[in-house]
Amino acid sequence: MLRIESLSITLGEFSIRDVSLEIRLGEYFIILGPTGAGKTVLLETIAGIHTPNSGRIFLGNKDITLTEPRSRNIGMVYQDYMLFPHLTIEENIAFGLHQKKIPLNEQHTIVKDMCTLLEISHLTGRYPGTLSGGEQQRAALARALVLKPEILLLDEPMSALDSRTRERMRRELSRIRRLTGTTIIQITHHFDDVFALADRIAIMREGRIVQEGETSEVFLHPVDTFVAEFLGIGNIIRGNSSIAGNITQITPVTGPSFFAASGIVGKVVATLHAEDVILSGKPFASSARNCLSGTVSEVIPSGSTVRVILDVGFLLTALLTRESCRDLHLEPGSRVYATFKASAVHVISFSSH
Amino acid sequence: MRKFSLTLTYLVFLSISAILLGLIFYTPLPALAASLASPEIRFAILLSLITSVVSTIICVAIAIPVAYSLARYQFFGKRIATLALTIPLTLPPLVAGIALLLFFGTTPMGKALENAGFAVIFTPLGIIVAEVFVNIPYMIRILRSAFSTINPRYEYVAKTLGCTDMGAFFQVTLPMARHGLLAGAVITWSKAMGEFGAVLMLAGATTMRTETLPIALYLNISTGDLNLAVAAATILILISLITLCVVEYFDRGVHVF
Repeated sequence: MLRIESLSITLGEFSIRDVSLEIRLGEYFIILGPTGAGKTVLLETIAGIHTPNSGRIFLGNKDITLTEPRSRNIGMVYQDYMLFPHLTIEENIAFGLHQKKIPLNEQHTIVKDMCTLLEISHLTGRYPGTLSGGEQQRAALARALVLKPEILLLDEPMSALDSRTRERMRRELSRIRRLTGTTIIQITHHFDDVFALADRIAIMREGRIVQEGETSEVFLHPVDTFVAEFLGIGNIIRGNSSIAGNITQITPVTGPSFFAASGIVGKVVATLHAEDVILSGKPFASSARNCLSGTVSEVIPSGSTVRVILDVGFLLTALLTRESCRDLHLEPGSRVYATFKASAVHVISFSSH
Repeated sequence: MRKFSLTLTYLVFLSISAILLGLIFYTPLPALAASLASPEIRFAILLSLITSVVSTIICVAIAIPVAYSLARYQFFGKRIATLALTIPLTLPPLVAGIALLLFFGTTPMGKALENAGFAVIFTPLGIIVAEVFVNIPYMIRILRSAFSTINPRYEYVAKTLGCTDMGAFFQVTLPMARHGLLAGAVITWSKAMGEFGAVLMLAGATTMRTETLPIALYLNISTGDLNLAVAAATILILISLITLCVVEYFDRGVHVF
């Protein structure tokens, strides 16, 4: 287990402020955050590249805050892979083994096995500059993994790859983790990585962790509007919340009120995922407590889905498949009903901003 | 415009070539060969080679850590240090030579060094000192440029793979900067072979003692022995050509000039 306690560090314009985290053995942990949030500095500090101004890092029960990077047994792979250009792929992968003075024949066997695992055996004699992005990434992973690190740090490892290769790499990472049991901490900007790989996630902003938890928990219950907006939650509605019987009623600044399953009262922000909003031409008979009528103001196709923006008194976004959109004949000006469950509405107290 | 500029380009190229070829072919080949074989020129070649190689090694050894500091670290007085290191680049070598002469000849530190056996005034050792002083800024500038282009994350990764700070530098950064290192070393050596002003001031111009190739050229022109002067000049031209070829081949993204 990796435990970070109140870690603070300032490096030029980047800083980490009072970060505390616990990452469990064998976990796939993903850190999300806007550019400049300090994600890479945090990863590099875990790796031992930078010495923190304050705070402690523990690996198991051992305090590694001041331990040199080479003695931490933590591997690192960067977005640009950082394969040494003057060495062949085989020499790159064996680099760490060479430092640890592993006998040559043993080095050769370990490198061969790792290359087989990552399907790069045919590339060992080549130089990094002649490889594609995906191949370089697998080589960089192999170089880190041959040392059997307790923790593998991945700094946006798939950002430079096209979407097909990225998809393949996701499967690869999942497989590697399954086979090696390595704890992985990854930085990414892609939500697809999060849903495909992460056990838990943390959201960083301006050097601080603003939320961490199980992936579904963070997506369903963002702690504030920053997290909600960052996670691309379609609907963030400000208003007042009051108890109406055994349920909470949200009254937005403009538009009709709706219900939420929450006990929070007062000034609130309600969040609702666009995919939880069901559209229909007539009022929809269901157990859902909320059904609002409105006019389509915009239809935005995106890949296999369509984002529909409705004016129900406030703006509400719904996410539909292309087929559903076509069946409902949706276009700007169409009258529709938007239905969503009270339990799909997450309420954040305004004091948490 | 195109016609004019191209004509001028050819004219400049032909003029430079004609002037240099005129010098090389001024002396008939047998006479040139005899001059090259003369004891004085052979001494000058040997002395130039030894002093330039030693001064280049010293320049490289000092420039590597200095250039690395300038490329990687932020420290107090970095701008002033960078400027101060550039001064010898713009200083006429004669002035650098006088400064060295005064330092080693008149200051208590210079005297102390001489008493300790480090006598540089009018000695072959002075040639090396003068060459190092004049040429080290070139080496530092070229290497700093080479180190600056290398992402420090290569070293970070090397450290997570088991390297010490020094190990990461010698196994990753330095090999990656090898083109800059080689280009810088060749330029430094070539400039050392041709150094005249600073060497003349500090080491003097004593025949068969501090007589490097440029000094031999100067001494023989002074005494009217044109053949020996041309022989020295021919070798210096050859060295320039070799340097140019090597630098052109290895200068990849390293800003030499």
